[in-house]
Amino acid sequence: MIEKYSILSPEFERDAPRELMLLSIISQSFFQPFSLEDNLIVILTALTSGSGVGFNRAMLFLKQGDRIKGEMWLGPRSAEEAGLIWEVLSTPGIGYVEIVEHNRALVSKNEDTLSARLKGLVYAADDESALIPAYAACRKEILLVREASNEPLVDRRFLNLIGVEEFLCIPLLARDDVVGEIILDNAITRTPISPADIKLAGVCGLMAGNYIYSSKLHLKLLDVEKMAAMGEMAMFVTHQLRNPIAAIGGFTDQLLKPDVPEDRRNRNLTIIRDEIRRLDGIIYQMGHFLKVSLKEPVYFDPGPAIAAVLDSPEILARARDYALSVKLEPCLPEILCDPTSFGEVLRNLLANAFDATPAGGAVAVRGYRKSPGAYVLTVRDTGRGITNPDKEQLFKPFFTTKEKGMGLGLPFIKRIMDTCGGKIEVQSRVGKGAVFKLIFLSRERELTP
Amino acid sequence: MKKKILLVEDEKSLCLLYEEELSREGYDITAVTDAEAALAQLAGTAFDLIITDIRMPGKNGIELITQIMGLRKDIPIIINSAYQSYKEDFMTWAADAYVVKSASLDELKAKIGQLLGA
Repeated sequence: MIEKYSILSPEFERDAPRELMLLSIISQSFFQPFSLEDNLIVILTALTSGSGVGFNRAMLFLKQGDRIKGEMWLGPRSAEEAGLIWEVLSTPGIGYVEIVEHNRALVSKNEDTLSARLKGLVYAADDESALIPAYAACRKEILLVREASNEPLVDRRFLNLIGVEEFLCIPLLARDDVVGEIILDNAITRTPISPADIKLAGVCGLMAGNYIYSSKLHLKLLDVEKMAAMGEMAMFVTHQLRNPIAAIGGFTDQLLKPDVPEDRRNRNLTIIRDEIRRLDGIIYQMGHFLKVSLKEPVYFDPGPAIAAVLDSPEILARARDYALSVKLEPCLPEILCDPTSFGEVLRNLLANAFDATPAGGAVAVRGYRKSPGAYVLTVRDTGRGITNPDKEQLFKPFFTTKEKGMGLGLPFIKRIMDTCGGKIEVQSRVGKGAVFKLIFLSRERELTP
Repeated sequence: MKKKILLVEDEKSLCLLYEEELSREGYDITAVTDAEAALAQLAGTAFDLIITDIRMPGKNGIELITQIMGLRKDIPIIINSAYQSYKEDFMTWAADAYVVKSASLDELKAKIGQLLGA
């Protein structure tokens, strides 16, 4: 007999040991399609998540080049605000997404006051004689500071900003490299920082350091991939442009010869004009692909977006030749995606389905909940299907089986799905048709108690 | 006797251009737009030279050359493609020359002349 468990448990275990809970929050957040900034909020949140657990406030310094710079501040500004925040955070059934959203708002609320002042604090990153807080990062040591105003090593500007006598400095390290520092205090409850707190914060610091390090590495890797894709694109564009240019060149040379008959001249000019229009089209499409910038995904109701695509003139016009059916559950969950990009994804998949299917065939759109937190949208056609070798190439830029295709549709969809933490899968049998399955992260519209 | 050239090119306007320009040079041109049609032509006619594109719908130019090699090894082949980057590999594909498509037909005409000993 086997038992299966979800890697990501959707809710906090309220009665779990606080250490386990804290580490679980942080490590699970790394699985979410959050931005680096949002995950940093999760880390700070985990360290300050409630009156009984963790610290009251956390602030983050990040290393940028050869400097350590104040970045983000999380925590209540007063005892009243603390009460409110902790009430929210202790709501049973509250998930990471809600916490991140709540705290993102909190960080932006602090933006004008504390964070702005924090961002003014910049220290040299490799200065052995640096003052606290940079001292901890520079020396790669965890520091507990007490009676801060009597301590000459504490930077006075920093002390004025945080206004507490006791605080903890945790350097964020990865592979012997400093990536930043977290400062923790109990400014509201004034609880002394215990050795257990320090150990736990130290482990969180290691996780956070490695997370920041790998996120930065990932961004670098994306840059490299982008460059490679650009090279491939340059090669493809060259090819696309050379054909019309060869025709324009050749037919122009013919025109320059003496005594070209009238009808021949007109024919050549028509060909040259058509080829120039083709060049124009290629340049337009390339420009469109390049300028598409992906927006941050948000949770939204996909119903109206799906209806807007299905009712659009271009889809209606093409759907006339097919049996188009749409079946969605009556109450859709909210899915995570950029709504505009979502429309483009569906439009692209429908256009592909029509392209692949002879007139009179069937095209079907289905939507269903796959599991809690995952919503699936499929587009099925009864067209010619996709061969196995083609399946492997489908999502590579510039691969196309269409005579006039650019091979940019599916790579674009894949890029969008990657951005929102979703997936695209394809199943097909040659001659029978194909199903493209979009899997989105989703949430129900109202919190279930 | 006019030398017979088989042209495989899916771009219709280029097909027309090459047909006209190479006929003017004194060759007998048969133009087809895909590999299957090219193989059908080869079965019935003894061509002196083949000019083929690489990227075409259906079978591509490389697959076509491989099949021609199985039929007739002695026939000279010129690859005429818009891809510059394949040029280094044309010897491995057993082609005799590689001409990148451009606004001028001079290089293609010169290569044909060389290979047909004109």
